[in-house]
Amino acid sequence: MNLSSILLPVLVLLPVLGGLVCWFAGKRLRALTSWVVPTIELLLVILLAALGFAAPIRFDFPGVCGLGLGFTLDGLRWILCLMGSVLWFGSAVFGQEYLAHAEHKSRYYLYYLITEGATLGVFLAADLYTLLVCFEVMSVASWTLVAHEETPGAMKAADSYLAFAVIGGLVTLMGLFMLQDMFGTVDIARLQALAPGYENRTRLYVAGALTSFGFCAKCGMWPLHTWLPAAHPVAPATASALLSGIITKAGIFGILVLSAKVFLHDAAWGNVMLAFAMITMFTGAVLGVFSTNLKRTLACSSMSQIGFILTGVAMSELLGEESAGAVHGLTLHMLNHSLFKLTLFLAAGAVFMNLHELELNRIRGFGRGKPILIVSLLMGLWGLAGIPGGSGYISKTLLHESIVEYIEILEESGRAFGAYRAAEWIFLVSGGLTLAYMLKLFIALCVEKNADPRRQKEFDSMNGHWCTRVSGAVLLCCALLIPALGCTVYVSMDRIAALAEPFFHVEESAHVDYFTLGNLKGGAISIGIGLAVYLLFVRPVLMRKGEYLDRWPAFLNLEDGLYRPLLLKVLPFLGTLAARTVGTLLEVLRKGCCVLLYQNNHNGYVHPRENERFTVYEQLPEGTRGYGASLNFSLLMFSMGLVIILVFLFLQ
Amino acid sequence: MTALYLLLPLLLPVPVAFLAKRKAEKRSLITLMAVELALVLLGLLCRGECALPFLPGMPILLRLDAVGKIFSVLFAAMFLLAGIFGFEYLHEKPERYYLFYLLTLSAMLGLCYAGNLLTFYLFYEAMTLLSFPLVLHEQTEASRRAAMKYLGYSLFGAALALFGFFVIYPATGGAAFVPGGALQGTAAPLLLAAAMAMIVGFGGKAGMMPLHDWLPTAHPEAPAPASAVLSGVITKGGVLGILRTIFYLYGADALRGTWVQWAGLVLALSTVFTGSMLAYKEKVLKKRLAYSTVSQVSYVLFGLFLLNGAGFAGAILQAVFHSVAKVCLFLCAGAFICKTGKTRVEQLYGIGRSMPLPLFCFAVTGLSLIGIPPFAGFVSKWYLAEGSFAAFPELGWIGAAVLLVSALLTAGYLLPVVSKGFFPGEDFPYEPIRCGLCIRLPLIGLACAALLLGLFPTQLLGWLSGLAAGIL
Repeated sequence: MNLSSILLPVLVLLPVLGGLVCWFAGKRLRALTSWVVPTIELLLVILLAALGFAAPIRFDFPGVCGLGLGFTLDGLRWILCLMGSVLWFGSAVFGQEYLAHAEHKSRYYLYYLITEGATLGVFLAADLYTLLVCFEVMSVASWTLVAHEETPGAMKAADSYLAFAVIGGLVTLMGLFMLQDMFGTVDIARLQALAPGYENRTRLYVAGALTSFGFCAKCGMWPLHTWLPAAHPVAPATASALLSGIITKAGIFGILVLSAKVFLHDAAWGNVMLAFAMITMFTGAVLGVFSTNLKRTLACSSMSQIGFILTGVAMSELLGEESAGAVHGLTLHMLNHSLFKLTLFLAAGAVFMNLHELELNRIRGFGRGKPILIVSLLMGLWGLAGIPGGSGYISKTLLHESIVEYIEILEESGRAFGAYRAAEWIFLVSGGLTLAYMLKLFIALCVEKNADPRRQKEFDSMNGHWCTRVSGAVLLCCALLIPALGCTVYVSMDRIAALAEPFFHVEESAHVDYFTLGNLKGGAISIGIGLAVYLLFVRPVLMRKGEYLDRWPAFLNLEDGLYRPLLLKVLPFLGTLAARTVGTLLEVLRKGCCVLLYQNNHNGYVHPRENERFTVYEQLPEGTRGYGASLNFSLLMFSMGLVIILVFLFLQ
Repeated sequence: MTALYLLLPLLLPVPVAFLAKRKAEKRSLITLMAVELALVLLGLLCRGECALPFLPGMPILLRLDAVGKIFSVLFAAMFLLAGIFGFEYLHEKPERYYLFYLLTLSAMLGLCYAGNLLTFYLFYEAMTLLSFPLVLHEQTEASRRAAMKYLGYSLFGAALALFGFFVIYPATGGAAFVPGGALQGTAAPLLLAAAMAMIVGFGGKAGMMPLHDWLPTAHPEAPAPASAVLSGVITKGGVLGILRTIFYLYGADALRGTWVQWAGLVLALSTVFTGSMLAYKEKVLKKRLAYSTVSQVSYVLFGLFLLNGAGFAGAILQAVFHSVAKVCLFLCAGAFICKTGKTRVEQLYGIGRSMPLPLFCFAVTGLSLIGIPPFAGFVSKWYLAEGSFAAFPELGWIGAAVLLVSALLTAGYLLPVVSKGFFPGEDFPYEPIRCGLCIRLPLIGLACAALLLGLFPTQLLGWLSGLAAGIL
């Protein structure tokens, strides 16, 4: 057992312990623990990298939770852990100011830290069982973060969050049951060895689809996304950054495990994934353009970016042996997206901390004269929109390149490629929409003045003291990382991406020249579309008299229009009908016997909806003794039993 | 230690209970129940059997085997915790309550120690009659009617079981419990009918359809600690009956593939769904929990009817974990009733502010009941599903799917209580309500058990797989 192996359970359990300390400790110790634990975690993750991944790293808790929990580490897992610990570190430090006056801080930090442990547990899981256990803990613990503000809106969002988490978890569990039944194991390495040889492909696909259901719900894939734009904005900003930045990645990681281990280079799986990825990417971006709430726009953007990542997953499946580019692209895009969302949600947090508002019209002009806020939003925009120089450009180029490459392969072999050409265009248009909604945010916050001059004056008076130095430093560091990574791509990003290759079984590493004319052209098309959408759609259509309007048609809401009525009205109605019918069969029989035997209609009749003792005796008037009738009844039951016995004895 | 020792835990509560009738003294009663638990634990060392002459050719046979060990410890522990809770909850005539409470415990232990069907049947009837006054305790019109309903269903179920007894007694020559089945060879049609009668009869106590209807009536009317043991423990008496019937009288091989197995599976699964569905629609908390018991105990029966190792392990785990969770949930509901008088779910809005600890324990055990890892219920469901797939490679998914739908409904009827209780909004007015040690101690104990049993079920699992190998 080497040092790295021992560090794995420490990474998972330390935050849980820290959370308990926060819960039981006094104010000061809590404040200290809340940022010291994430700091230690970050240092431990860095230490892991220093120790290297060459030796097999694995730690098992045999027998825990029944099947035993196992943790392992490789390049991709390390990258995800790094992202996680950076996000927790950043949001914890920022939270010192943001949450200074919040209520229920012990509760918040308890679940905040448990979520960290569980999320890292998901990334480190060596088998799907461990993955599911950690995944469920993460879901339930992060639910309290969504509900933290306790406003009606937050509660509604938290309810859908929990519903999706529970339903998703159960469906995934069903998938796991099937996998366990088919292979006798859910260990990821064993599955990888066994899955390709499995005969019954239909069964395998069903199991895979069920297993991935919960993961897709968590990462916000269409049509399981409806909770996401609702839940991310209502949480405290420090938690939103995590929800958007890293908890969605836990879902992605689940999908990656299935895609890269169970369905390695499976074209059918890849095609289905690609279709969902396209819809997710595009829908998210359109929702983002229409949204007029700062955090909601960012949440929709998360959904859209998840679509980009899933595109990478799909392309890596389709490209098979030549998937290096797609793998690099999806890995880097996960990394980038976490970083962007950390920056942007913390910036949004800074706005909310001062104004307690997120509506664009109300916060308009707040960023003016606040350089740190401007820089962080601008860098977020730069990266997210994939403009050359930012780190987002690199990952998007890689993803775009992988689609183009696949089209070329199809073209060479003379197969139809129209659908993939369409996918390429959806990709480019979604990239453009990304720029459009980010421009909308940036211009509203940092360029335009508020419609109300007094309010603008109020905003300006906050200049210089709208956040503490520490919070400002966090914001600035996150923001500057984006161009720093984007400009040192061959030194930094390429090396990070190469770490993920073993997980995806990439044979030969790809070398891409990012700044060639062809690649720049893709970026330029996206930027062109984005500018056009902003100038020709957002400003003329979504604005009137200098006000941002929410023009998204209200009936286009999957959750309120379909899921809630279906799950809360239709299905329970049908279920209850069936259950009541079956459940009262014997009771009806008994009532019938009562009526027949006693000639006593009074005793045998109950109004179905009359009281909560439906199917129980009717209330007798005061003074009547209930004993007699009931004793008769008991005797009746007893004699019925005896009669049945006699009948059977005669039969014998 | 000889099996004669078993008489000690069995009979100890009887004289003490009558002494306690005069004066229910808290400290001595708690001590007694703790001593009882210790005696039961000590009883685990017992070997051999002890036959007391009763009728010619039909002795009362006491013996402690692995199943009995698990259940006896479970019963004694749950009675102790719910008993402690009762001291803060009960205000009227605690002495009468504890008299019957202790006698019921005695009868329950008798069920575990029974070595043949006659003994089992006697203790089974004793359990019904002795727990009857617990339901009656509040002495309202409603509780009288509920108690009568309880009695009627139980007696009817017992009568069905008695029929089974008459048939199986000559076929096995004494109806002694033998691991792997006392019955030699295949079962004749009449024997199968008898098996079905026993399953339905004992199933009535376990809340299996069609004799499930007494639970949602009787449980809410009993005082909370009594409903806790009714739901968490006494239903397990029925489970034990079915377990003995299937694995110790008939033997799994005699029933595998027969219509009895199929009928049992269908009944169990439809009860799983029906119970959850009705619980989801129910607005009175204790009644909701009672319906939930209907559903959850049928998980256990489903596992037993699968007639394989994984199903058996899952069933026993589910029996233990459900006891822990359901006793805790009922005690939480009792804590709300006793401190605030609130019985309906919508009244419990914001209850987590004034009574955080009971609601927290409610949440933990609720998550366990749903089957969210790392809490206990998850492990049992895993094995149940595994058993389902192993028993029926083609149709196994139906069982697993019903379990998961029911788990979803369980989430639907338990989690809103938690979320509305804990997150009522920042400016929700409340006053902290203090719960005494008698309330807090059992709740914390049970919640911790739900977590620890979920994290470390290996010991139990190892035991169970050994046991399953012995009787299958």
